[in-house]
Amino acid sequence: MRGPLFLAPLALVAGGTALATAPIAQKLGEPLPPRTPEQVYSSTCAYCHGANVGPVIRGRALPAAMVEMTVRQGRNAMPAFRPSEISPAELHGLAQWIEAGPADLKEKGQ
Amino acid sequence: MTVTLDRRGLLGAGVAGAASVGLSGVAGAKPVLAKGMRKADFKGAIAAMRAVVGPEWVFADEDAVRPWRKTYVPDPSGRHAPVGAVCPGTVEEVQALVKIANQFRQPLWPVSTGKNMGYGMTSTAAPGQVVLDLKRMNRIISVDPELCTALVEPGVTYRQLKDYLVEHNLPLWIDVPTVGPVASPVGNTLDRGVGYTPYGEHFMVQCGMEVVLPNGEILRTGMGSTRNPSAWQAFKWGYGPYLDGLFTQSNFGVVTKMGMWLMPAPPVYKPFVVRHKRVEDVAKIVEAMRPLRISNIIPNVVLMMSAGYQLAMFQRRGEIWDHPEPVTDEALMAAGAKVGLGYWNTYFALYGTPEMIAANEAIVRAAFAAIDGEVLTEAEMQGNPYFHHHATLMQGGLSLEEVGIVRWKGAGGGLAWFAPVAPAKGNETTGQIALAKQILGRHGFDYTSAFAIGSRELHHIIALLYDKSDPEEEKRADACYRELVAGFGERGWASYRTGVHAMDLVAQQYGAVNRAFNATLKHAIDPNHILAPGKSGIA
Ligand SMILES: Cc1cc2nc3c(=O)[nH]c(=O)nc-3n(C[C@H](O)[C@H](O)[C@H](O)COP(=O)(O)OP(=O)(O)OC[C@H]3O[C@@H](n4cnc5c(N)ncnc54)[C@H](O)[C@@H]3O)c2cc1C
Ligand code: HEC
Repeated sequence: MRGPLFLAPLALVAGGTALATAPIAQKLGEPLPPRTPEQVYSSTCAYCHGANVGPVIRGRALPAAMVEMTVRQGRNAMPAFRPSEISPAELHGLAQWIEAGPADLKEKGQ
Repeated sequence: MTVTLDRRGLLGAGVAGAASVGLSGVAGAKPVLAKGMRKADFKGAIAAMRAVVGPEWVFADEDAVRPWRKTYVPDPSGRHAPVGAVCPGTVEEVQALVKIANQFRQPLWPVSTGKNMGYGMTSTAAPGQVVLDLKRMNRIISVDPELCTALVEPGVTYRQLKDYLVEHNLPLWIDVPTVGPVASPVGNTLDRGVGYTPYGEHFMVQCGMEVVLPNGEILRTGMGSTRNPSAWQAFKWGYGPYLDGLFTQSNFGVVTKMGMWLMPAPPVYKPFVVRHKRVEDVAKIVEAMRPLRISNIIPNVVLMMSAGYQLAMFQRRGEIWDHPEPVTDEALMAAGAKVGLGYWNTYFALYGTPEMIAANEAIVRAAFAAIDGEVLTEAEMQGNPYFHHHATLMQGGLSLEEVGIVRWKGAGGGLAWFAPVAPAKGNETTGQIALAKQILGRHGFDYTSAFAIGSRELHHIIALLYDKSDPEEEKRADACYRELVAGFGERGWASYRTGVHAMDLVAQQYGAVNRAFNATLKHAIDPNHILAPGKSGIA
C-alpha cells in the first residue's frame, strides 16, 4: 500500500507546487532561526510585491526607514507585519537590502 | 536621494498625511481600557508582563501597538483596537501571563499568526484587551511520515511547515486557506477555517491539543494526557466528552500545541474548472455537485467562484464599471468572457492513481455535460491565471494573489467576510443571491461572492469590499454588514464565522439557550473573564 502513495505527484500543473524560493531550514523542536533579507522577502513580501497585489519595491532605492514603517504599520491593502513575525533585526536588514539592491526583472508591475 | 513613489503609493501616503504613512486601516480613536480597569491596573499588568517575557516583547504605547491595530474590517469608532501586545516564547511564559491577567483583571486576546484578514486580524471583539501574540512560538514539534501527522506550535505558518516537508523530502501535502504563506494551521483551525484539498475541512483533520486554561493549568486533549501519549496525533476522541471543539471559535483556553493530519501526496493530481454562463446556473451546479461530494467521487472542498470575485483579484473596479451603482451581472459577464471566465467557475480536482482518475473523470464529465457545463482542464486553460490560482490551492500551494480583491473598491483596503451557511441544495442559492444583492445594493456595494461545498453544506462567501480610507464608506460598510447578518438571520441563514466587528450580532442568530450555555461554561472556566471577552459573542 505504501509504495504508490509515496511516488511524487505527476506535475499536471506547471509550477503549481513550486515555492517562491528554496525552503528555509528549521530543526524540529526549535524556533525558526533568524532569516536573511532574501529569505524574509521571498517567504513574505514576494507573494504580493511583483505578483500583482502590491507595487514592485525592489530596485527603486526606497528609503529603508520608509520600508520599515510601511511594514510595521501596513498600508491600505497591505497588512502590517509585527515584530513577532519579522524581528527588528530581520526588518532592519531587509529594509537596507531593498533600498540598496537591484530590481528583479522577473517581477510583474501592478 | 530622490524617491519616486508611484500613484498608488502617493494615494496611500496622502490618506494619512505626510508624517505618518498608512494610518488608513488603523482605528483612529484613542483606545480605552477594559471595563472596571484603572490605569494603575493596566500599568501594573504591563510591568509584570515585562518581567516575564522581557521588556522588548511587551508593547503598550500608542505607537508601539500600531502593528496590532491594522485591520480591514469596518471599525468606525475604533472600539476594536487593542491597548497592548505581549509576545511569549514558551508555554511557561503563557502560563505566567495568564496568572498576571487574573491578578490585574487585564483581558488577553490570543492570536497565533494574527492574519485573520477580513475577520479582524489582531484587533479584538471588546475594547481594552492586550493581544497575546503567539507568533514567536513557532516550533514544529514533530512530523510522523508513517502516520502522516504533525504537531505544531501556534506561530508555525503554512509556509514553515511546507518548507520542512520540502527540505526533508517528505511526500506529504499541507492544506492551506487561500492566504497560506503568512497564516497558520493553529489559527486557521481554531477559527474553523477551510482549504481546498481533500483535507480542506481543517477541524476535521485536527488531532489533539495542548491548552493553557484561564487558571494557568495545562490541559492535553484526547490521548495527550495518558502516560504514553504516542497515539495523541492518531486518535481524536480520547475518552469521555470530546473537548477539542470547546477551544475553537471560543474563549475558554489558549491553545499552545495542535496536532494535525497531513495528506499523503497522491500519485496524480488533476484540477478542473467547469464554466457556466448565467447567474441562475448556480442552482443546478449545486444539485450536480452534491452527490459527487457526498460519495467522495470529488474529494476536495469545491469552490464556485463568481465572475465578480474572480475579476476583483487582478482588476480594479474602474476598469470594468465607472458608475457608483453596483456593477451589473451583464458588465461582469462581459468582462469575464474577455479573460476566459464564466459567471460561475467551479473548481475541483481528482487525486489518485491514473486509473482512479480516469474512472472518476468519466462520471464527473457526464454529470456536468447533463447541465451544460463546459468542463476544462490544464489542456485548455494553460496560462489562464484564474485556473492557475485554483490549481495551486487545490494541491495546498502557497499564494497571496487573492489579496488583490481588497483593492477592488479603491486603494483604501476594506474587506469584511460575510459567510452564511445553508444545506447544499440548489434552491437555497437563488433566494440568498437575491437577498445579498438587495442589501449590498442598498448601500452601494457590489456582489462579489463564491459558494463553497464542504460536503453536505453550502457556504455562501460574500466579500464585502469597500474603501476604508473613506470614513463615510467605512460607516456604510459597517451598517451594510449588520443588515446582511439580520436579513439573512430572519430567513434562517446564519454565519459559520464572523469578524470581531459583528460577533455579538451573529451569536444572537443562534438563540438564547445556546448563548446562555456558552456563558455558563465561560463563567465556570474563566471566572475573571480574562480570555478574549466578546469572542463569538461570549462575554
Ligand atoms: C483574500 C483572502 C482569502 C482568504 N481565504 C480564506 C480561506 O480560503 N479559508 C479561510 O479559512 N480563511 C480565509 N481567509 C481569512 C483568514 O485570512 C484566514 O482564515 C487565516 O488563516 C486566519 O489567520 P491566522 O491563520 O493567522 O489565524 P489567527 O489570526 O492567528 O487566529 C484566528 C482567531 O482564532 C483565535 N485563536 C488563534 N490562535 C489561538 C490560540 N492559540 N488559542 C486560542 N485562540 C486562538 C483568535 O480568536 C484569533 O483571532 C482569507 C482572507 C483573505 C484576505
Ligand atoms: C498581502 C500582500 C502584501 C504583502 C505580503 C506585503 N505587501 Fe507591501 N504592499 C502591498 C500593497 C497592496 C501595497 C500598496 C499599498 C497602497 O495602497 O499604498 C504595498 C506597499 C508597500 C510599500 C510602499 C511602496 C510604494 O511604492 O510606496 C512598501 C515599501 C512595501 N509594501 C514593503 C513591503 C515589504 C518589505 C514586505 C515584506 C515584509 C511587504 N511589503 C509585504 C501588499 C503587500
